[in-house]
Amino acid sequence: MLASASIEAGSTSGKKQRTGSPNQAQIKWRTGAQERIYNRRLIEALRAARGAARPGAHAVKEAADSALALTARGQSRWSRAILTSRLRRRKLLVKAVGRIRRRRRSPVPSKRDPAAMKVGRVVPGCRSLPAPTLLEEAADYVAALEMQVKAMRALADALSSARIASPESEAAES
Amino acid sequence: MEPARSSGGGSGNSCTYTPEIAETLRFEEEIQSLMRDGSSPANGSSFTALLGLAPSQAVELLHEPGEIYRRSGALLPLGCSPTFPSNAALVERAARFSVFAAAGDSPQASHSGGHAPLPKPEPADSDSGERPQRPAKRKDADRSKAKPPPKKSRSGEEGKGKPTEESEKLPYVHVRARRGQATDSHSLAERARREKINARMKLLQELVPGCSKISGTALVLDEIINHVQSLQRLVEFLSMRLAAVTPRIDFSGIDSFLSAECGRVTAGGGEMGMWTEEGMGNVGRQEQENMCDIDVVQTETQEERQQWDRDETQDQHQPHVFIGNPATSLFAYDPATSVPLHANQLKTEL
Repeated sequence: MLASASIEAGSTSGKKQRTGSPNQAQIKWRTGAQERIYNRRLIEALRAARGAARPGAHAVKEAADSALALTARGQSRWSRAILTSRLRRRKLLVKAVGRIRRRRRSPVPSKRDPAAMKVGRVVPGCRSLPAPTLLEEAADYVAALEMQVKAMRALADALSSARIASPESEAAES
Repeated sequence: MEPARSSGGGSGNSCTYTPEIAETLRFEEEIQSLMRDGSSPANGSSFTALLGLAPSQAVELLHEPGEIYRRSGALLPLGCSPTFPSNAALVERAARFSVFAAAGDSPQASHSGGHAPLPKPEPADSDSGERPQRPAKRKDADRSKAKPPPKKSRSGEEGKGKPTEESEKLPYVHVRARRGQATDSHSLAERARREKINARMKLLQELVPGCSKISGTALVLDEIINHVQSLQRLVEFLSMRLAAVTPRIDFSGIDSFLSAECGRVTAGGGEMGMWTEEGMGNVGRQEQENMCDIDVVQTETQEERQQWDRDETQDQHQPHVFIGNPATSLFAYDPATSVPLHANQLKTEL
């Protein structure tokens, strides 16, 4: 019943607020609006990265991840962690934007599932977290990653096809 | 009828005792037990839904009267919402007394008089709320009392099953203790926590393809981790591809193209042939050939950024925002049609 209600609401509005249900994450990341926003940010980031090292594959990846984190609007822990790791000086700003609570670095094993710790290692910024939060973050992260892959693949295909086309036009003009 | 009377008799009150006295005594017991326990069900608001389940509750009451007395005793001193005290009192009476017809009015009067130690709004609420609900409760009590023995185990399980479902649906956390299990706050909280975790895990399973078949938490987690790692590797691979393609191409008009394209992609499937449409659509609005002229493009970045900010807010509705976009399509997908136009426009610009 929760899932159906959220799906109905998701179809009407482009973006949903996170209410704590992982299915929300799935719906939130699959809307067309989100994809467009991400593409825009991706291009901005790529252009900014272009000024630096051109063939930097790492730079491209970091730009893409930053764009993804930005599209998440800092509502999830992994997005805040990504943005925080990129910007040294603006940590406080990012944290203020994300309204992050003072994260207690308490490696208390009582609330943590040792099997779930593996998941915490894979998702950025979720190393020591209690199990339900961790699973929520993981769901959001998986949905976001899927969207990122889809967008990057589309972009790469578009660029490569245009690249094939452009030399011909250049040759024709000159 | 008989079991109720006998239970009333078993708790130390004979049939000669007036119902009022019996009730008074019992409530005082509950208060004392409440002070002893201080259990988490003392969060009185938690009993809304429980008390809403009239049939199963009445059955539970029959079989575990002590627990319910304790809980209802926990309810009352906290001065909860008006329905609770009436429900609690009603349900209790349904469990203990078989027929209310004769003693209908007297317990009410004694109820209000006898609960001096309890909060004041309660008796008034119980008096007012009782009457309309009483016939319904009585019917349920009679019905459930009619067949207690065969349903004992099943109803116990039902009572088990429902509250544990309720704990997920409702905003407040309350879990009824199962039969034979401890009722201390620790185990209850732990149980609620476990259920929350399982719910999240289930949703994660739906998200990751192929996980719903796997049973067992550890394997599911492994599968999730594999999926995440493979997605991350895909991102790296695609970024390498993009890095290979990127230096040759300029990004001034790409956002408009991609906003249209992603609308198409989300609709499902995509062909390169579709992009020619976009390219041709943009041709009419083109002002500049971006590929040949990088310097001019650089000066436009500021305008573009402003445009992007505006576009982002507009973008919620349609992918046609590039109508207002000064920098338009960058890629000549259809060289035959677009190139001559590019050449003409270039001449006018330069």
